[in-house]
Parts: sequence; C-alpha cells; structure tokens
Amino acid sequence: VKVTTNAGRLVRQVLAGEVWPTLADRHAYRVGPDGRPFLLPGMGGVTLGVHCADPATGYASDHLEPGASIRHRDPGANMALQFLTCVGNQVRVASGPAAGAVGHVIGQHAYVLADFPEPAAADLAPGDAVTVLATGQGLALPDHRSITVKNCDPDLLARMPGGTRPDGRLEVHVAARVPAEAIGAGAGMVSEYANTDLMGAYQGLGADLSLGLEGLRIGDVVALADADHRYGRGYRAGYLAIGVISTGQCMLFGHGPGPSTLLSGPADAFCLVDDPEANLARWLHAQPDEIRPAAAAAPGSR
Amino acid sequence: VTSEVSPGGESAPRLVAVNLLGVVEHPALGDGPYRVDRDGRPYVPAGDGGIVLDLQLGDSVFGLVADHAAPGACLVHPDPASRHALASYGCIGNRARVRTGQAAGAHGVVIGKRGEDGRVIVAFGQADLARMRPGDEVAVRARGQGLRPPRLPPDVTIMNLDPAVLALLPIDLSGTAAGDGGGAAVTAGVRMTVPSRLAGNGIGRPAVGWDLDLQLPPPGPDGTGDLALGDLVAVTDIDARYNMGYRRGWVTVGVVGHGASPLPGHGPGMTPILTGPAGAVRPVPDPAGHAGLTAAMVQLQ
Repeated sequence: VKVTTNAGRLVRQVLAGEVWPTLADRHAYRVGPDGRPFLLPGMGGVTLGVHCADPATGYASDHLEPGASIRHRDPGANMALQFLTCVGNQVRVASGPAAGAVGHVIGQHAYVLADFPEPAAADLAPGDAVTVLATGQGLALPDHRSITVKNCDPDLLARMPGGTRPDGRLEVHVAARVPAEAIGAGAGMVSEYANTDLMGAYQGLGADLSLGLEGLRIGDVVALADADHRYGRGYRAGYLAIGVISTGQCMLFGHGPGPSTLLSGPADAFCLVDDPEANLARWLHAQPDEIRPAAAAAPGSR
Repeated sequence: VTSEVSPGGESAPRLVAVNLLGVVEHPALGDGPYRVDRDGRPYVPAGDGGIVLDLQLGDSVFGLVADHAAPGACLVHPDPASRHALASYGCIGNRARVRTGQAAGAHGVVIGKRGEDGRVIVAFGQADLARMRPGDEVAVRARGQGLRPPRLPPDVTIMNLDPAVLALLPIDLSGTAAGDGGGAAVTAGVRMTVPSRLAGNGIGRPAVGWDLDLQLPPPGPDGTGDLALGDLVAVTDIDARYNMGYRRGWVTVGVVGHGASPLPGHGPGMTPILTGPAGAVRPVPDPAGHAGLTAAMVQLQ
C-alpha cells in the first residue's frame, strides 16, 4: 500500500529454524463435524503441491500447511522465531539437498510456514536447517495511528495495492470478507502466534455449515468483520482485522483455513476494495532477491 | 448407581463411576507478571486458577478485578495425560473429597471445568476452602460421560453432567414441549441466549474437556446483561457434540463456571451440558429470575 511507514527504523534479525517433522499420536484419529473419525496428512513436515493462489480447501487433508513447517528446538528460541517472523520474510535453506533455495514466509500456525518453489520443496525434508531474515514487528503507519500493523514484512506492505486515501482512510484490497460467525479456533490467542481458523469454508459440507467461504485460496488477503487483533484475537463490534490465508483444509470441527494477522483497527479507518486478485502470489511469487530492488516502485503499479 | 429405565422398559447402559485424583492447583505466571488486556493495557492476572476465596455460585461473573476467577478450588494433575483425563471425565455435580492437608475429609462438588491443559473447578464451603492449600489431594468421584436419559430426543446430546444434578437443573426432558419441527423438545431455563459470534476461546476444542468463553460486555448500571456463576446460558449456532464449532440452527446450553477475563477473545466460561438442533433444544431465557446451578443445590456447608 502507498503509505508512510517507519520501515527505515526496523531491525532485521537472522533467525534459525528447522523443518519440523509431521507429528501423530498412537490413537491416530481425530473427529470431524459429524463425529466421523479421520486420519489425514497436512500439518508439519513439507506439504507439496499447494502454493499461494491455489485453493485453500478441497483436499483430503487436515490443518493443511502449504510448504515447509518450521520450528526451533529450544522452546525460548522457538517463541522468538514464531513471534518475530513476519509474512513476506525471506527464508533460505541452510542444509540438505535443497541448501540455498529461497522461499518466503506466508504465515504462522504454531509453525512458521514457508512457501518454496515446487522443485525446491521436493528436495526439502524434516530436519533441514533454514535461515529466516526476520523483519516487520514494530512496523507502524504514522498517518493511520488507529491501525496496528503486525507480522508484516515492510516490503510486502509496500507491494500490496491500495494506500492512504484523500479522506484519510487506508485502502486495502481483499479477496474475501469474513463474517464474525466464522471465527473458530485461535480466538483468544495472541495475534503474533498461529492463526485464526475460519469455519464454514470446507468444501462439500452441508448448507448448515457453509458461511460462503469455500472459494478461499492460500495467500488470499481477507478482512475479518468485528475482529480486534491489536492485542490478541477477540470480538469487537466495529473493528476489522486484515490477514492472509496461510493454512488450508481442516476436517477437525471448529477449525478451517486461517489468516495470519497483518493489520487491525477500527473499521472506519479502512476502505476495503473487493479484489479477487488480492493474494500473496500477486506480489511474492517471484524470488525474494528479485523483489527487494523492485519494492520501492511496486506500490500501486498493478 | 443410576438405573435409567425407558418407558418401554429396556434399561439404558449403566454409567461407570471412577475415582480420579486431583491436586489443588497453584496459580502460575510466566517470567513477567503482565498480560495485555483487550485495550492494550498490561495487567497482573489475579485469580486465574488455584484457590479463590469469597467467590461463590450466584455471584456476578463481573464482580471481581480478576482473570478467569472460579468459585472454589481448581484441580489439576502433574501428569499431562492424567490431567486431561481429570478434565474429560469430571462432570458437574460430581462429589469431591479432600484427602490430605488440614481440610482432609471436606466435601466439595464439581461445578465446571476449564480447557487448554485441563482443570476441574470444585466448589467447597468457605470454611473448608480457607483450610485448603495448593498441593492438597482431592478425589473426584467422576460419573456422567455417556449419560443418555431414555426420554432424550435422539438428536440431543448431554455431556459433562452427573445424573444426580441433571434432575435439579431447570431442564425439562419430559418431551411434552413442542419443538420447532413439531417433535419433542428439551427445554432449558437460561439467563440469556448469546449469538455464536461472541463465542471465543474454546471454539474448535473438544466439549468434554474444555469450556467455552463468552465475549460479553459488563452489565449496564441497572444490572442489565449481568451473568452469575452457575447460570445456564444458551449459545445459538454452536454444535458441541464433539469439537465445538459453528452449525447454523443448533443450540448449545452450558453452565457458567468461571468469571470474566480482560484478555481479548476470553470471558466468562460455560461448560457445555446440552447440545442439539434448535428444534429439539429450546432455551427459555429469564434475565431477572433465572436460577441455574446454585449453592443450595450442591449442599455445601
């Protein structure tokens, strides 16, 4: 968005993580909306074949995490990795056959989630070391003081369409608007960690469950109605949270594809523009090394 | 042992009672004393777990400067799996007995539960509570999961309730009330009905081991919108048969077990006891006169 920021005063920090193994327990099954047990992959490890701009739902999967799911072994260092990593940050593979491959962060889900080009992802495996160039926490908009920015790389913000309007509102393009009824697991958690699961977005379930969100794609920028994510995730009438869909299909009831939070503030501080192309893929599918020099010229160029 | 016999004469499966061991919790904080409230202000969370004195069933959930305060003692277990079992099998109305410490022998009653790592909330008489300390062992005679009264409409589920307390709550299973669909309905007297968009922490979690926090505003100056510990509350469009989640046209009724919280996404929490389609579960709100789970009902000295 074309907006004045304090980006020049943010620090960049080099963080370490590793691709985390997919986890299961010996009882295997989880329970779906109608009480049907299921066992499906998608969370942890390296999930292949799903990238930004692909449908978020419609897979035989649970808690689908596109690309690599990343943690740090030390609990304190892991929380630093989870809290300080922002959507759009560069991730470089530091060990294994994919060493040197570059991807970018698409969100948080109690893992840092990094999307890599498919050939690089195909060479990634749990245990591979990755380096995250973390920057973004502390990003602020001096002309929009009621809006809190979090989990957002300044380059990503600069590349998104929209910006400060003559009437003082911040124009943000969104691929979907989400009603408050859709907010599932993740409510009540801090908004620098994991994401907000959205219900009513699963494919193929009954009309009693649909909230009209079946069209969501990985990487979509969405607006959550009546959500205040400035200091956590809660209901507040008249507020908005803007997030990016970072996870996909869930069969566990009360869960679903979820946005990681980018912006939150009073609804009247925003001007939302419905834009089906408001997706990370639009701005970040190029390799980050190609993106950085272009960042200054990108806002509003679409 | 309850022997539920349906009008047709066939016996329902009998419930099993199990003695569980809980340990009175000590409140725990991180390295810093502060949490951040929904307006961005740091606060020190008082009353979040452990033993809370002078707070009882019938008191307002908004009455104290506290975070998730529960009336009585919260029980936990040092082994995580045992703790989840305690939270999942413990049911409202279960009897509890202190086994160690100065209050050994004192009786209490389970009035609710809390999620995440799992806690069972046990109400005691204030004199007994004052003699207890964190680390005391308390046995819970857990019974209730699997309860299915024969008259219950087939699409209605009861959970987290001791059969002995079911009969005391303002819940009518007689089936004489007509449901929206014309079939039999269960009616439940409640303080208020809350829309699902106000449901916070607890969504997406298993209803047998978690409570559901309600993001309610504090009451008005005249007390409008107040809610008491022990009240029954209905939430529309929430299906709590397994994990709790949105389902249009459903109703879930719960018992309020802990007080309000300054945290965004949190609030007074209800332990789900009844869930089903709106046509088969009919809440009857009574903002002024409602009485849910009361101190008199659980007979504490």
